[in-house]
Amino acid sequence: MSLTSSAAPAAVPVDPELAAVLAAFAGLPPMTAEMIPLLRRPNPMAPTDADLADGGRFTVEERAVPGPQGAPEVRLLICRPTGAVAPVGAVYYMHGGGMVLGDNRMGVTEPLAWARDLGLAVVSVDYRLAPDTPHPGPVEDCYAGLVWTAAAAGELGIDPDRIVVAGTSAGGGLAAALALMARDRGGPALAGQVLMAPMLDDRNDTVSAVQMAGHGLWDRAANEMGWTALLGVDRGGPDVSPYAAPARADDLSGLPPAIIDVGSAETFRDEDVAYAGRLWAAGGQAELHVWPGGFHGFDTVAPQAQISQEAQAARLRWLRRQLAP
Amino acid sequence: MLVTRYPAEHDERVNDLALRLAELDPQASAAVRVVGHFDSLMTSRAGLQSIVRGAATLAGCPVRLVDPLRRRTVRVRADGVVEAPEEEPDAAWPSAEVSADGAVLVLERTGPVGTVEAVVLERAAAAAAAVLARTPSRGRGHDPALVEMVLDAGVDEAERLAAARRLGLPAACRAVAPWGGAGLVVAAGEEPPPGRRAGIGDVVAPAELPASWAAARLALRLTAEGTETDPGPRVVSAESLGALALLVRAADDEPGPLPDVRTLHRAAGTAPWVLATLAAVVEAPSLRGAARLLQVHHSTLQDRLASAEAMLGWDLKTAEGRLRLHLALALRRAARAEGSL
Repeated sequence: MSLTSSAAPAAVPVDPELAAVLAAFAGLPPMTAEMIPLLRRPNPMAPTDADLADGGRFTVEERAVPGPQGAPEVRLLICRPTGAVAPVGAVYYMHGGGMVLGDNRMGVTEPLAWARDLGLAVVSVDYRLAPDTPHPGPVEDCYAGLVWTAAAAGELGIDPDRIVVAGTSAGGGLAAALALMARDRGGPALAGQVLMAPMLDDRNDTVSAVQMAGHGLWDRAANEMGWTALLGVDRGGPDVSPYAAPARADDLSGLPPAIIDVGSAETFRDEDVAYAGRLWAAGGQAELHVWPGGFHGFDTVAPQAQISQEAQAARLRWLRRQLAP
Repeated sequence: MLVTRYPAEHDERVNDLALRLAELDPQASAAVRVVGHFDSLMTSRAGLQSIVRGAATLAGCPVRLVDPLRRRTVRVRADGVVEAPEEEPDAAWPSAEVSADGAVLVLERTGPVGTVEAVVLERAAAAAAAVLARTPSRGRGHDPALVEMVLDAGVDEAERLAAARRLGLPAACRAVAPWGGAGLVVAAGEEPPPGRRAGIGDVVAPAELPASWAAARLALRLTAEGTETDPGPRVVSAESLGALALLVRAADDEPGPLPDVRTLHRAAGTAPWVLATLAAVVEAPSLRGAARLLQVHHSTLQDRLASAEAMLGWDLKTAEGRLRLHLALALRRAARAEGSL
């Protein structure tokens, strides 16, 4: 969905509750490459192992597993329900952060909440970040971790037929890429893909990208920064791999069922809606939610808001259906 | 994404947000953020639930809005989930007035009130007041508590006018007193509930509704079931009464029913036809019309009237006699409604 006119349409208004939270971010400097070191500082609120264990509900461990050919090992955060008597389903999770920041504890509380409700394991991958590690390093790290997880399913008490990939923002793009790679390489059979406001298209030129420029916490300029960090001068060019930008894939057939959600007031709206449409067109199964007035990351920044609660509930319902043993 | 969500506990999440924000922008004080939050909610015309949710999120405790007059309670936990209250508010919880008619916003926490909590209370209450002020009319026209208030002469005029605004009342309206039901207010051009036995008050400005209500209740006393045993009009409008209203009030000041009323009442007890016949004579434009109304032969009516005249002791063939009967019938209904007969 490309823009034919040069004039940007009016921005979609942000949901009132979300707008009130967003107001707290007014005056923050724009996201530029110069801010990456600042944003990468250790987060003092990062969950500890004890936080993740949730009073003994989960067994928590960090493991270094073999990385891609010739690359360092990949660190996986593995949280397994204690006392499970049968193999459990698993969420293989990739954090957000525009490809340039974050670690395997960022955002992991949401998949852990699913795991609490549905009796699942969570494996969160600490992929290397751009621009230090450009494509294909980050996505190959994720894939290596997935392959290891599927192979170690027996040891981990995971049912290899019930592994879903999930990711937020940049992690959502990585999750979509893993589904493509697993299909193309004959890798692990996936039970689903949870694409939460996924970052899919390096061309960064949809109506929503142009329309929402200057709005929200991840606008077109920030998106360009993220993609450029990953792809350098190739960003937006003719030769971008679908494993970097899944929107570039010519063939979306033979992929696992997807749930895609996105806000109507964010950069990624149109590329995410288009991806769902192409999954259906290819004979695939997808559930699509466009939350009205949602800015990028609304359910993470304002988890208490009414539509954030509904977005979270919709994911949980989808997972319940998808992973029912 | 700039801000990350960490521990599962909602309070910590909020604190996390605040902390990261303070880190990125040390100038932004918590109080300023609270003010900005509610300013934004007001600008985007957010509803009550969003306002209460904002207060709960920022204060880190459940918050409830209690609006006794509109019989509405909105309670939201600190994690944003709406949950009905299970207990009465604790008197020790900090609260702020939302409206002069008793709506309050309550933070469900004890202990000293800090700056942030105080600002949350103040700003959230102001935002909620703005919502209450602008959400009057639709669906509230029958809110019995508000209607009761607007009709009550004992209520301060300013409060009555506030209630009238919330009911969305027009500049001209009137009170309706239905038989065996709570009072209503209808717009001047609006029909009262059809088929219902009722007294209709005068058309007045909202501030004068207590007077319209008094007139409606008086008119109601002059209604009847409209049956053979209780003949008379089912709907009486105060505007049609003229001097009769004065007479009813004057009769109320008498120690007992007037002699004509007592006589009529006695006559009514002698035979089932008496009351229906007398009412028809008053209602119909002529004796022939009355006979048609009663579905009796003209001569039968003549015989009945002769008996009635004997019981009442006055002539019913003259206009004066029929007026005297008319007044006696009306005053009897009024006295009966008052329970003095």
